[in-house]
Amino acid sequence: MVEDKILVWKFNRGSKDALRRIYEKYKDDLLGLAITLLRDRSLAEDVVHDVFVSFAGTVGTFHLSGTLKGYLSTCVANCARDRNRLRLGRDAGPDVVEAAGLNSDGPIEHAIGHEESDELQDLLARLPYEQREVIVLHLHHEMRFREIAKALGISINTVQSRYRYGLDKLRSILNSVVTK
Amino acid sequence: MRPKENIEEFVKVRKPYVTTSREMDKRTLDNSFAAMEQTIRAKSADHKPSAPRIIILSRMIKLAAVALIIVAISFFIAHQGPSEQGRTTRVLEVAESPFEIMTMKSLTIAYRRGGIEAIENQCEKALKILGPQPASISMADLFNGSNG
Repeated sequence: MVEDKILVWKFNRGSKDALRRIYEKYKDDLLGLAITLLRDRSLAEDVVHDVFVSFAGTVGTFHLSGTLKGYLSTCVANCARDRNRLRLGRDAGPDVVEAAGLNSDGPIEHAIGHEESDELQDLLARLPYEQREVIVLHLHHEMRFREIAKALGISINTVQSRYRYGLDKLRSILNSVVTK
Repeated sequence: MRPKENIEEFVKVRKPYVTTSREMDKRTLDNSFAAMEQTIRAKSADHKPSAPRIIILSRMIKLAAVALIIVAISFFIAHQGPSEQGRTTRVLEVAESPFEIMTMKSLTIAYRRGGIEAIENQCEKALKILGPQPASISMADLFNGSNG
């Protein structure tokens, strides 16, 4: 936290090293978030790229109110949502996302080495985007419901209900997998 | 049926560990540095320091302003609210009524300051305020009347 404050302070004074350090510190987490949300590695890389380029453009005026990780995660989530909307508008419909997630030969499997992570990615891909987003931000990026609500511009009750419904659906999917 | 905590733990421990490629790092950092430099250049080009900004930012001018304020406050206090000593002197120097002028105390002070002439002046002032007086009045009668 203190390190982040110092990095932001240096970044605001035009330090490229500080920007590089911020990128190296959070790039993997942010790419993981984008991949989980979009189920498409190249699209996820574009999202992380765009987030960092626009973050770099705030040099001198950037003000950190919460945590840097929370801020960047929020940016990635918002950017990923926009990309997802564009993709849904361009492609056939919501099933495209799920199909991409369930395809075991997709590029995501090259990025995610662990079998357990693959399993989770496949399960999460079956959830609606909004529920997946809230679950990942809360459980993988340690963002509180209040932070998520503020970042997504929705009420905290909506966030909590999305989270609850998402977990319920995940549980039922897991149970159906176990019984098969 | 898995309890909620188990599901949360299930999701938590399966957080994906992804690493970025070198190409992505290079592309992102290069473009980020370019955006950073562009912003800095744009800001320095647009940044024309105005006179009020220079005044606000200048430490010397800030100190001078503080000093000026302190001097002004001191000046105001010196003229509007005199010290206890100054107030006492002023009361003693200016007699406010004929009775005060003609008390032994005020006449004694006048004598110490200006001798007999000061007493005469003070008496004349008092008599002007009191109005015309009989020509034959003596100093003893005057003192008796004034001091009760």
